[in-house]
Amino acid sequence: MKNKTLVFAIFFLLILLTVIGGTAVWGSGAFPYISLITSVFACVPFFLSFEGEKNTRRVVLLAVTVAISVAGRFVFAPIQFFKPVSAIVILAGMYFGSEFGFLTGALSAVVSDFYFGQGPWTPFQMISWGVIGLLAGILSRYLIKNKIILLVFGALSGALFSLIMDIWTTLSIENGVFNIMRFFAAVTTSLPVMAVYSVSNVIFLMILSPIFGKKIERLKTKYGI
Amino acid sequence: MTKHLHPLTLFLWFALIISMCVITMNPFCLAAGFIGAALFLICQKGHAALKIIGFSFFIVVIVAVTNPVFSHNGATILFFVNDTRITLEALIYGIAAGVKLASVVLWFSCFNAVFDSERLIYIIGRAFPKLALVISMSLGLVPRMLRDFRSINSSLKAVEKRRIKRHLGAFSALFTRSMEDAIVTADSMRARGYGLKGRTFFNRFCYKFRDVVYSLLFIVLFMFSVVLNVEPEFYPMYSCELSLGFVCFAALALIMTVFELKESLKWKLSISRI
Repeated sequence: MKNKTLVFAIFFLLILLTVIGGTAVWGSGAFPYISLITSVFACVPFFLSFEGEKNTRRVVLLAVTVAISVAGRFVFAPIQFFKPVSAIVILAGMYFGSEFGFLTGALSAVVSDFYFGQGPWTPFQMISWGVIGLLAGILSRYLIKNKIILLVFGALSGALFSLIMDIWTTLSIENGVFNIMRFFAAVTTSLPVMAVYSVSNVIFLMILSPIFGKKIERLKTKYGI
Repeated sequence: MTKHLHPLTLFLWFALIISMCVITMNPFCLAAGFIGAALFLICQKGHAALKIIGFSFFIVVIVAVTNPVFSHNGATILFFVNDTRITLEALIYGIAAGVKLASVVLWFSCFNAVFDSERLIYIIGRAFPKLALVISMSLGLVPRMLRDFRSINSSLKAVEKRRIKRHLGAFSALFTRSMEDAIVTADSMRARGYGLKGRTFFNRFCYKFRDVVYSLLFIVLFMFSVVLNVEPEFYPMYSCELSLGFVCFAALALIMTVFELKESLKWKLSISRI
């Protein structure tokens, strides 16, 4: 536990150094790239702590959860705008803990971008979905007990994903100067997408959370994960 | 040629080029990076590359046009729009920034073309073996799950006509099945000694002497292009000069394309001799 805190502290310092040093050396023009490096650094501590995972079952379960969320993207492709990734990430965080949730989110982004194309946006997707899973894990007590909180959380996380991606769009177009007007412009153009994300999250969670929750609970008691 | 090099060497090449594209604002270097990426992508993908390159031109145009709207620095005024001035310098800066972004995007798609999942997992696996395992397992599981999903879905067609409901039902059945499978797989992995000390990962890559030579060459070219590069002035007046750094960076960006072309030429000649 002490070790873990140390790793997180080191990477927090690294991120601070990148942001301050990068800005000092190259000025604001480097912001999109600094934020790219920052989001990679933010993922690394989770990856490192996962390397210490002794339980093989959890390792394989992670692979399966990631694969399910990516396969879901294909399965529901004919029904437009239905993407279960966030819903699965939230469920994973809720039932398997926050670290598991973060990893599910981050790796879903990596694996699905093998099919849809890797790019500078991959680290941002990793961090956005990862944070959604992390938050779901932290709030799991309330999310499992109260369905309304869960649905609100689902809607908000759809908005969060869209907002983080908008920050990336703004930064990359403006070449670093975070123009607040331009950010609002990007947010406004992506509002419909944001709404669709939120609605599809809510629908998925409404239908899937009782079923999947029961299944996961059963699995946990059966195999003692 | 590209595919015969060790993944680490290739990764180094991409990392150096992308970081140079990020560091510099020198229009000549950015142009070299952009053209290098475009040529390399055409070498790797042929006609499919043209679509991506077209998209990257679109990025350049968007950034170039919008920068003067939001930024009013610069001495040379082109014209006024509603009392805001549109300057030449802001336009040039916009073009440079657009080319920079577009070349990063293009280099990423080059990276995609060369680094198949095997190479990428090898790179990740050096630092994070368990993570690499998870990624490679998921990559293998996705097509299998889609196959399973189709078979579940086609049998569900007999009982459920509503499409969305059927999809959800099949998805849920797939979930149960995969989760149970996961436990079985994990137990079988443990029984075969996964996670014990001293076990290694299979890979078919071999670090040869030429990888050392190329890595050193890449690093030297990169260092020279960083040190000798002259950063341009954009505001208030645009000024920029050619430097040796540009030559080094152009060499770094084009080196693989030249090798590829040389090899395909050799191949064509050897065919024509027969």
